[in-house]
Amino acid sequence: MTNKVIIELDQVSKRFDDSVIVNNISLKIYENEFITLLGPSGCGKTTTLRMIGGFETPSSGNIIIEGKVFNDLPPYARPINTVFQSYALFPNLNVEDNVAFGLNNRTYTYLVNFYGGEDQLKSEIISENPELPITKKAIKKKINEHIKKSVSEALSLVSLKNYEKRRITQMSGGQQQRVALARAIINKPHILLLDEPLAALDLKLRQNMQYELKEMQRKLGITFLFVTHDQEEAMTMSDRIVVMKDGIIQQLGTPRKIYNEPVNRYVATFIGETNILPGTYVKKDLVNFLGVNFDCVGYTFDNNETVDVVIRPEDWDVVEVNQAKLEGIVTSVIFKGVHNELEVDVKGINLMVNTYENYNVGQPIGLKVDPYEIHLMKVDSDEQNL
Amino acid sequence: MSKTFNKLSRPYLIWLIVLALLPVGVMFGLAFVKTEGVSFDTFYFSLESFELITEKSTITAFINSLFYALVTTVLCAVIGYFVAYRLFKSNLNNKLLILTVLILPMWSNLLLRTEALGNIMEHNNILTDILSNIGINFSIGIKGSPLAVIIGMVFTYLPFMILPIYTALEKIPYALEEAALDLGLTNIRKFWKVIFPLSLKGLTSGSIMVFLPTLSGFAIPQILGKGNIVLIGNIIEESFRNMNYNFGSLIAIIILVFILGSLLIINKMDKEGETLI
Repeated sequence: MTNKVIIELDQVSKRFDDSVIVNNISLKIYENEFITLLGPSGCGKTTTLRMIGGFETPSSGNIIIEGKVFNDLPPYARPINTVFQSYALFPNLNVEDNVAFGLNNRTYTYLVNFYGGEDQLKSEIISENPELPITKKAIKKKINEHIKKSVSEALSLVSLKNYEKRRITQMSGGQQQRVALARAIINKPHILLLDEPLAALDLKLRQNMQYELKEMQRKLGITFLFVTHDQEEAMTMSDRIVVMKDGIIQQLGTPRKIYNEPVNRYVATFIGETNILPGTYVKKDLVNFLGVNFDCVGYTFDNNETVDVVIRPEDWDVVEVNQAKLEGIVTSVIFKGVHNELEVDVKGINLMVNTYENYNVGQPIGLKVDPYEIHLMKVDSDEQNL
Repeated sequence: MSKTFNKLSRPYLIWLIVLALLPVGVMFGLAFVKTEGVSFDTFYFSLESFELITEKSTITAFINSLFYALVTTVLCAVIGYFVAYRLFKSNLNNKLLILTVLILPMWSNLLLRTEALGNIMEHNNILTDILSNIGINFSIGIKGSPLAVIIGMVFTYLPFMILPIYTALEKIPYALEEAALDLGLTNIRKFWKVIFPLSLKGLTSGSIMVFLPTLSGFAIPQILGKGNIVLIGNIIEESFRNMNYNFGSLIAIIILVFILGSLLIINKMDKEGETLI
């Protein structure tokens, strides 16, 4: 991350009446990254987004955007656009007018600067028609041409070419979603906020949109700040994920890091299925759980300290009983298409195991796990600390 | 199922035919003949009523009606929009209660209400009496003036304007306002570009609901105008009272055409039934 910081939240809190929604969050968001706020509903992720967007003012702390404190600036003065969960398209306008809405309602001076300044526009007019006198009217006309071009560019970016004259009410949910996107990106914001924009779409469409959004972010080179409660969505798209709970950041990192090395029980269970087992750190690179010693790598604890052991279901190796470290009985099998999801009873404890092979309920199997697949967490780790 | 409903609707159908459709038919017939009242002994075909229409008094009444209806509608629209918007934007918990209070006068008798209003528009009434007791000697005597009629009409029909505008405003999702701000609009521009266009439906419904009764009503101008101001409704009433059923019918039919036209517009504009008609 050698990139420039574009948004900085400095000890930002938000209280409504007596309840604290966002609790002393500090966060740096870099230029041109796709960052996701992930957490269950009520964790403060949407409120954080709304504070950055300017729809809420923080109770304390500073929101610094491009080096300036933005706490009390209204939304229209921010280099930010939002894609709303409900899309919030204007039902009285057609697609074209919706997309052009942001530009159509800017001042003349703003638009002149937006399209490269007065000289640029003048030279464009001259190169097209040298005889034409350069009046304000001519420049305005040129600007309108530019807006029209921007609209069709934005629409083709979201694959909605030739939908200009369509009414909003005649569009499907997925198409409305795209219009909302086009309406935001046409303004060339430095930061795009997305508030669970895919929540209302069906699974297939949602997956497509995830790839398209990621692709779009790469192409446009602007910072995307995405809010979702869907961990899979967050995994697919994000450069970095911010896991939140009760208004506090639990963990901040790349999807891989958060998945493989969760800092606490909460993150481990929230991001995907997992087995969390009580264990003891015997000595360096040796951990004991379920009564057996396992090799592990890369963790330093006190000798004989109790730890939480995290093993993802797909990290177990199912082997012959005589070669196994652990023995168990299969108690349930669910076919998931690519793999089978087993529940295995080992010494009275249920483990989740994913495997490609087929096993039957009641069958005894052996389990093994590679040292680097074992992730250890401090047991009494204060969940509020990073 | 539908057969039972057919049977159940029969009394209403008969009521509609006997008390609404038939009289309109008779009125339509009466417009083209000359009779003594509704006795048909001496009736003969005549277009005399049509000649009366072009008389100066009738034309003046028509113009008066249109003028007063228009002024009332515009005043109601402006005041009503402010009230509805203020209520819509307020943080009150019980907006419905406020709304009920606003439309409460609608449920009292029109004549009684108008007479009461007329009373306080004259010198020496209960209000000036009370005020003089606490040392304020102040009274206005505007009864009989156009202002009195307009005040009376606005007072009576304002609730019909507030309600549909408020309903239309309530239907605008808050996210749209946020989206407008997000896309660079200031609060004032947001109002004109988003809120106002989306509440136009309510404004139209309200305007029609104010315009129609003020166009054809006769009680308010009669009481508050003390007979100085003659609207088309007064002409109709007068002709029926003077047994000139033919002329009365003709004007009534013309007004009916106006009303039906407006109802068509309402139908086009108001698909969700915001209007109280």
